[in-house]
Amino acid sequence: MDAYFWIILVTGLVSTVVCLGAGILKKAPNDITILSVAAVEAALVVYLVGSIVRVIAGEPIAGEAWEFWGYMATAMLLPPAAIYWSILERTRWSNFVLAAVGVTALVMAARMNQIWY
Amino acid sequence: MKDQQATGHAPVRNTRNTGPGRLLIAVYGVFAISATARAGYQILTKFSDAPLAYLLSAFAALVYILATVSLAKAGTTWFKVSVAAVLVELAGVLVVGTLSVLDSVQFPHETVWSLFGRGYGFIPLLLPILGLVWLYRRRPSAAAAAQAKAAE
Repeated sequence: MDAYFWIILVTGLVSTVVCLGAGILKKAPNDITILSVAAVEAALVVYLVGSIVRVIAGEPIAGEAWEFWGYMATAMLLPPAAIYWSILERTRWSNFVLAAVGVTALVMAARMNQIWY
Repeated sequence: MKDQQATGHAPVRNTRNTGPGRLLIAVYGVFAISATARAGYQILTKFSDAPLAYLLSAFAALVYILATVSLAKAGTTWFKVSVAAVLVELAGVLVVGTLSVLDSVQFPHETVWSLFGRGYGFIPLLLPILGLVWLYRRRPSAAAAAQAKAAE
């Protein structure tokens, strides 16, 4: 597991805990929960840019390269999709949708790390 | 209106895409995407290794896509499609889960439903049960009854 994974682990867990908490407190999605999901997307962008730089620098991906990039693309689609879905109907349940992003992103980042090394 | 929705006392309509249903649809959506990607990858790269398992993967992906779309749509027809999709999903996870325990040669643990979805935190086993509960609570006859009551 590299630094990129740990960055996503931390932002993902924080985002999930914040969104779960807001949902349990019966709050609708607000700036804090939406920004926590945006932070997960930012962490994925860091992973994306870092990975592109490493590939250009000549570092090989141990597993299937297109599987890695497939995971990356899918993971990066999740936060915007969840934010879109959650602001269409602003209830506490939308915060649980947002909470799912963080854990999903960290599971996918773990898989991406496995493919890379 | 916002408070009504937040506390779950919004008027009952013939839809499944509201309140907790939105979380259910979101989780179904994630499974639809991941199962499709996985099945596509398996079939394109190593189909001959375990054709039965990979065809099952593709079938599971189709069921998840159908469940996601039908749950998001309003109306009685889509309700019926949802019930069918979720029942097939439940049967699939139970049958494939059982077979994967009994016959690990034919079912080499490579579908979403293998070992009752253990590779996915048993969510594949939980999802159809929650889906059926939600479909029952939002069944069209309940929506019609609530509307009739509101019209009185």
